[in-house]
Amino acid sequence: MSDIYFHLTISHFLVLAAVLFGIGVVGVLMRKNALIVMMSIEIMLNAANLTILAFARFHGDMGGHALAFVVIAVAAAEAAVGLAIVVAVFRSRRHVDIDRLTSLRN
Amino acid sequence: MMTNSASTALLFWLFALMAVGGSVFVITRRNLVSAVMGMVGTFFAIAALYVMLYAHFLAAIQVLVYAGAIMVLFVFVVMILNRSEDEPWAMSGLLGKGLAGIALVYLVARLIGVLWTIKDHAQALPAPGPTVSGNDFGSTQAVGHVLFSSYLFPFEAVSLVLLIAVVGAIAIARPGQKPGHHDPAPTEGERS
Repeated sequence: MSDIYFHLTISHFLVLAAVLFGIGVVGVLMRKNALIVMMSIEIMLNAANLTILAFARFHGDMGGHALAFVVIAVAAAEAAVGLAIVVAVFRSRRHVDIDRLTSLRN
Repeated sequence: MMTNSASTALLFWLFALMAVGGSVFVITRRNLVSAVMGMVGTFFAIAALYVMLYAHFLAAIQVLVYAGAIMVLFVFVVMILNRSEDEPWAMSGLLGKGLAGIALVYLVARLIGVLWTIKDHAQALPAPGPTVSGNDFGSTQAVGHVLFSSYLFPFEAVSLVLLIAVVGAIAIARPGQKPGHHDPAPTEGERS
């Protein structure tokens, strides 16, 4: 039993990544503030990166590091564009409450 | 990690607790600035976990890009918004979200169950040897070699993506008109 606590395997990292991804999903679904939603998306991207790097370590393959690098760059681009949209929405509506952004409904 | 040492396991649990606690902190905060600070702590913990996975270069990139650049961007936007929310939890469509939550808990529980059952077969790995290029696994040289040989096209595509994102972000967030002031001919992209 204590083996689980003192004997690290790849499973530890995968479970941690799954838990982090779940927390990110809960944040995306349950919060109203667009900024918190974007931070939850970043948590989910980080969880995916953790999985990628755990498997890269597991297989001894550097390709996973290249993929994680691309994911980080795309996350930076996503944050830049997403925050620009948040600023534009706030400028025209004075709030960033995603429950009240219903202009595209119907 | 995976060197059967109790101290590395202890460090893993410490940083895992820090990452999970930090992300829970983020999604439960009402104050946006404290949420951003929790996010920074989460990113540092995840960078430490990258180091335990022999991804030293990506750990450095994680700290520089995430904890440095992206979080500073978030802080700037938080300062611009400067608005505290009265009711942080979205209550619309609660039924669907409840179902999604149940499905999520089920998914995570099954994942953990699968990994739990195979844990006896997952033997600890030896430290990774040198890569094909002869560099240490996860070092800057190895990442550079793999980026500029096998993955040259994705690397260049990422530079294009970043350029497009920068141009798009500037086009969207350019200081436009105040709400209520109607410009005679609003251009696309400036009006939201």
